[in-house]
Amino acid sequence: MGYRVAIDIGGGFTDLVAVDEKTGEMFWSKGRTSPQDLTEGIIEVFRLSGVEPSSCVQLLHGQTLVINSIVQRRGASVGLITTKGFRDILELQRSNRRDIFNLKYRKPPPFVPRHRRVEVDERVMADGTVLRGVKKAEVEEAWKKLAAENAESIAVCFINSYVNPANERAALKTIEKLNGTNGHSPVTISSDITREWREYERTNTAVLNAYVMPLVEGYITRLTSRFRQMKFNGAFYMMLSSGGVASFDYVKRAPIETVESGPVAGVIAGTKIAELMGERRVIVLDGGSTTTKASLVEDLAIKYTTNYSVERDDFNPGYPIKVPIVDIVEIGNGGGSIAWVDEVGNLKVGPVSAGAVPGPACYGMGGSEPTVTDAYLAVGFLSPDYFLGGQFSLREDLARESLERVARHFHLSTEEAAFAVIRLANDNAAQVLRLVSVQRGHDPRDFALIAHGGSGPMLSPFIAEELEIPKIIVPVIPPGNFSAWGLLVSDLKHEVTKTAIERLDSPRIQEVFNGGYAELSSEVVSLLGGERKMLLHRTADLRYYGQEHTIRVDANAGKMTTREVTEVGHRFRSQHSKEYGFELEAPVELVNLHVAGVVVSDKPVIRELSGEGRSLAKSLKEERAVYWGSEWVKTKVYERGLLPPLTQVEGPAVLEEPTTTTLVRRGYSARSDRYGNLELTAK
Amino acid sequence: MQTRLKTDPFTISIVKNALISAAEEMFTVTARTAQSPIIYDVLDFSTAITDHQGNVTAQATGIPLFIGIFDYTVKGVIGKYGLKEFRDGDVIVLNDPYMSGTHLNDVGVVAPIFFRDALVGFTASKGHWLDVGGMAFGSWGPGRTEIYQEGIQVPPSRLYSAGKPNQDLIAILRANSRIPNAIIGDMEAQVAGLRVGNRRVAKIIEKYGLETYQETIEKMMVDGETLARKRLSSLPHGAFHAEDFLDEGAEDGSPLPIHVHVKITDDAFFVDFTGNSKQLPFSLNTTYPATVAAVRVVYMAMIDPHLRYNQGVVAPLKIVAPEGTIFNALRPAPVSVYWEALTYAADLVWKALAPVARERLTAGHFLSVVAEIIAGVNDKNGEPFALVEPNAGGWGGSPDKDGESGLVSFADGETYASSVEVIENRYPIILDRYCFNTDDGVGHGEHRGGFGIIKDYRMLNSSAEFTTDVNRSVIFPWGVEGGKNGTGNYMVIIRKGREKVRVRKVSSFKLKKGDVVSIRTGGGGGWGDPLKRDPSLILSDVRNGFMTARVAQREYRVVIDQSSWKVGRATRRPRRLARSKMGSGGPTRV
Repeated sequence: MGYRVAIDIGGGFTDLVAVDEKTGEMFWSKGRTSPQDLTEGIIEVFRLSGVEPSSCVQLLHGQTLVINSIVQRRGASVGLITTKGFRDILELQRSNRRDIFNLKYRKPPPFVPRHRRVEVDERVMADGTVLRGVKKAEVEEAWKKLAAENAESIAVCFINSYVNPANERAALKTIEKLNGTNGHSPVTISSDITREWREYERTNTAVLNAYVMPLVEGYITRLTSRFRQMKFNGAFYMMLSSGGVASFDYVKRAPIETVESGPVAGVIAGTKIAELMGERRVIVLDGGSTTTKASLVEDLAIKYTTNYSVERDDFNPGYPIKVPIVDIVEIGNGGGSIAWVDEVGNLKVGPVSAGAVPGPACYGMGGSEPTVTDAYLAVGFLSPDYFLGGQFSLREDLARESLERVARHFHLSTEEAAFAVIRLANDNAAQVLRLVSVQRGHDPRDFALIAHGGSGPMLSPFIAEELEIPKIIVPVIPPGNFSAWGLLVSDLKHEVTKTAIERLDSPRIQEVFNGGYAELSSEVVSLLGGERKMLLHRTADLRYYGQEHTIRVDANAGKMTTREVTEVGHRFRSQHSKEYGFELEAPVELVNLHVAGVVVSDKPVIRELSGEGRSLAKSLKEERAVYWGSEWVKTKVYERGLLPPLTQVEGPAVLEEPTTTTLVRRGYSARSDRYGNLELTAK
Repeated sequence: MQTRLKTDPFTISIVKNALISAAEEMFTVTARTAQSPIIYDVLDFSTAITDHQGNVTAQATGIPLFIGIFDYTVKGVIGKYGLKEFRDGDVIVLNDPYMSGTHLNDVGVVAPIFFRDALVGFTASKGHWLDVGGMAFGSWGPGRTEIYQEGIQVPPSRLYSAGKPNQDLIAILRANSRIPNAIIGDMEAQVAGLRVGNRRVAKIIEKYGLETYQETIEKMMVDGETLARKRLSSLPHGAFHAEDFLDEGAEDGSPLPIHVHVKITDDAFFVDFTGNSKQLPFSLNTTYPATVAAVRVVYMAMIDPHLRYNQGVVAPLKIVAPEGTIFNALRPAPVSVYWEALTYAADLVWKALAPVARERLTAGHFLSVVAEIIAGVNDKNGEPFALVEPNAGGWGGSPDKDGESGLVSFADGETYASSVEVIENRYPIILDRYCFNTDDGVGHGEHRGGFGIIKDYRMLNSSAEFTTDVNRSVIFPWGVEGGKNGTGNYMVIIRKGREKVRVRKVSSFKLKKGDVVSIRTGGGGGWGDPLKRDPSLILSDVRNGFMTARVAQREYRVVIDQSSWKVGRATRRPRRLARSKMGSGGPTRV
């Protein structure tokens, strides 16, 4: 027995949550992210929490390293090896003009320029037959050429490798051998990451994997060696974008599967809270220091996206990544976002962030640009002496000074300028909520908002009013460490897939099902490292013969006989008719087999909050002047941790806790439930 | 316009976005349930929602050309039945090009939306069916002299009556197609899209009330028109004119002169095609609705490409095209390759305005949709197959950037070039290569044109038929301000690795196993004097193999040292090489 520890690294802060497996007791700490060497920040939060690495059995980790290095173009110089005749696939893309009326459209530039794309004369046919094997000498030649072009990481993607990866695997072997004798340059083959057809999408996925691989590998190696030095003997896991966690070794090979690693944990945590509170429809909002993110959850089911692309929007196709990813919308606007005046005199907030270093002006670390956090401090939403529970104090004078430029430009008082910054930031944040709800045809008025992150509970009251969201929930789990807690409630999970196209009326069908599932099951078992409490779940993708798109249905455990195959076919027909309103005479075809293995973790339990030692009177810590937009109002400030369960606080009020501040506006009230979660509603 | 709204603006924007997402969901459902790659992989279809008079209120991002045509499609249906004849569950099918635009292959389906017995609007979908009969597999192609050779004509007809399928009509459609299972499957997919749209709209009205719904769509139109007029007033005003040539059509077989007059004022955008050739006995004529739809694309690009399209937005656009001309063909003119005259109609407007709309437009692009049909009966399973697809090509340079390479034509939008792996899985074909067409090059310029593509299809089947009809093959994409013209589109048939037949127009050419059809699209026109080009860009082009050091020296007068990757200026002006209009390639077969 020991601690299970979760570490979540965001743009501004590194968060820790630990649970003592024996007592269920929870610890948390929060420190600044150390962008130069992220491991420093992790070691710091361990120190702050008092949890010894040597007494931990598991370290679960969520990061934004992968997405940031893609978006900021900080990845490796990648060399790409393709089938002869197809080196331009990465740049041709799908040739679509997503911005359909814009005749000055720009295609997204490829991550690998043409001179680092090399062809080899190999070929697999659509049915998997190898027409031409891959010649060792040619791969060696390609490797040398890419080495001469200073490629730091290599991606291999051959046509039809989704059906038969033999040639890609042969190329991998050759390259690994060359690496062994010539020094290391990591290599990705597309079939290891995705087995979906469509060469551009698969090539781009492989290229982005190769792009982030050296960074992630270096990071993981550094982190593990630091922790081994500190006598940590437990297992390392990282959050995948699919919502499961996987071993570090796995992530080193497929880092692209962690592209939304950080944000996903927050959605999982939000879903747990929704379940606890009996809310069926929630939007989970994460107000971080560099970004604001939202995800919509209906009936406790997390939504997945099937066409995830980095940098995709209404007018830009972005870069497709074909791995399972929880549907999250994100904008570059957070507590550290800088306010500025553009060339025509308009006030703007973000997307540039002061980050962890130098941070907002009020940190006193050399930042002089006004940030949203400075504005919060200037209007009195934040206390200068209680930031991170008083871990360090904020400089009100520097905050006000930074805002002076904005104030002078618009002839406003400092607090008016600060409030203008806050309103604009809230407007930006409201946009992300619109994107997940209104724009997808959901009415935000039907949802409760679960607000977390350092600034989530501070901005929610404003955007909830604008979108008429009836209820805000601020979880009892420290909202600033909520995502880290989400890691602890995630399960160890792997899913493997095999494409096996066969009609259900084929005489071979039982053999295909049984052989395929047996192969996949043993693969999952080995990925999960033979854990005992493993659950296997088998599904199959089916379609009408002739269709392309498939529907996933459950398959029974055990041997697939004629009866089970027929049953699976029926399940597909009724699901198709339910989703699309029609059935076809056409035969049904099997396309993919999936086996998901889950090792259910021992989740921390949220206990009912005891009223002992807590009272409204005790929790009242001061009255301070707060500028609510039109005037300074003497406002009651409560220590949230001392609020008893089932208690109501009337607005205007400020509820402080170490990792966040919850604002209760005039006309609203906050009520704590029996677990200590807060519900904010209009009176 | 000052109207007092009963509904708050927040609700209006929710209803508006819910409508748009309904149209997008229609699109997704159709793509997901379709049978043919041209629908599910290429996305050669669009979906829309209209008000009860056929004015478009919301549409999915798809083919801009189809988006601009839905009003004609739905109004054609209303014109036949009147507003009183519809019942809940009706679905009307039509493909009459003179009424609803494009060609017989593009089949529209339209469903009335009811809310408690009141007709509140229509959902519509238009998609390319692989074969609708006619003289050759795939239905469209050159050599037709009247529409009767281009397939079955379907005037607005009930496909479903109050939810019941019209089996007689479906049997007729089946009997007239060489690939009946695919087209009926795609038809079901289109209808599935309409059903989802109808359900979503009814749900929206149920939730927010009919009054709010109607107020929202009225406001969308009014806002659209107000914004369009506002943008219009900031465009360069005046009269503009452009001339060009269709690759053929003059009586002696030479290129056919075409022209346009454009006038932009504070509140209108006039386009006049008066004086162009009368309709031709060739398949390339376009009907009026299709011409309008094409010009609407350039109009949208000019006023504001990010305005949400609806009927209000295009209200200031007025287009004159006299009846019986190539831009307003009347029955029985053949129109199966309508996109050729149509793209030239829009390109003329573009060419007239490019010099004054530097922020919005580029030099000329490859223009033609460059589509082909490769069809036959699969040796392996005896089932018919038809590969039909548009191809990508090179776009023109502009004052601030080079032209894009390998991008679909302006008439296509969120339209995807086929995936190699999807094609190889679905057809008895293997690709030898799919790459940029660096052989034929681009229009040079300070900002050069983008590159076209080369795609080589090798037949694995014992036989197949090949059809194509390509323009911008003789008269190349135009350059601007000293930029050079681009290069042409064409295809090459390679037999036994040797025999090369260069084709521009061919119908049902018999292919044998091992034959290769090589699709080559042209490079875009350049913008500005090539001698002003930034040398580092020339260096990058040579390093990336987009052009040889020799071409760089000849066209840009720079010397690239390929061992150190450094640039120098050429000291003497090299002799210009005489170039034929057709670039490289073998004999022309027409």
